[in-house]
Amino acid sequence: MVATKKTKKTHESINNRLALVMKSGKYTLGYKTVLKSLRSSKGKLIIIANNCPPLRKSEIEYYAMLCKVGVHHYNGNNVDLGTACGKYFRVCCLSIIDPGDSDIIKSMPGDH
Amino acid sequence: MVKFLKPNKAVIVLQGRYAGRKAVIVKSFDEGTRDRPYGHCLVAGIKKYPNKVIRKDSSKKTAKKSRVKCFLKLVNYQHVMPTRYTLDVDLKDVVAVDCLQSKDKKVSACKATKEKLEERFKTGKNRICTLY
Repeated sequence: MVATKKTKKTHESINNRLALVMKSGKYTLGYKTVLKSLRSSKGKLIIIANNCPPLRKSEIEYYAMLCKVGVHHYNGNNVDLGTACGKYFRVCCLSIIDPGDSDIIKSMPGDH
Repeated sequence: MVKFLKPNKAVIVLQGRYAGRKAVIVKSFDEGTRDRPYGHCLVAGIKKYPNKVIRKDSSKKTAKKSRVKCFLKLVNYQHVMPTRYTLDVDLKDVVAVDCLQSKDKKVSACKATKEKLEERFKTGKNRICTLY
């Protein structure tokens, strides 16, 4: 019981941090732009929804491994991730280019 | 945050006539040029892989089967899958972008890369990242 409470808390904190990034930082949404940001080594953190197709997920993870960029597997599907970004569409993967005021990059990569 | 599309990187071409072929990045243009306003790279790849050689083959046959046919191409980054392997073959002096302007320059550059790749194949080094 304690474990589930803990994950709920960290889940909310990810959402809070994401909301701050959306407000103050730079990001790109979507598979094509995520790969572009990885190729140009601009991405600092990649977040992938849990219902991302496994081939696409492993491709993004491979690119991130080449780039040495952290990948966070979001605890929710693309609908939830889109809502967390404050958008009215589904987001399967997103790349944070500049976190702005948020500390998402310092606190998240331990999570993976 | 580390650039990985650098020269000597082994990549796989994903689109076009050479889809599925392995290649090496010779020169990369991250910002693009005026003709190609997107990130692209000059790759040297294998058009025809060397065939399997068996013990029964005569030396003439092994020589024929160990041949490699190369291609040179400017490919968009989006049409290329990078791998974690590198191939340290010195192709920079052999291949340049102006090689692709005229047919005979391209052919001679292809022949030169073919020699380099064939000798690398014959020495049997780069077993993990061979382009074969």
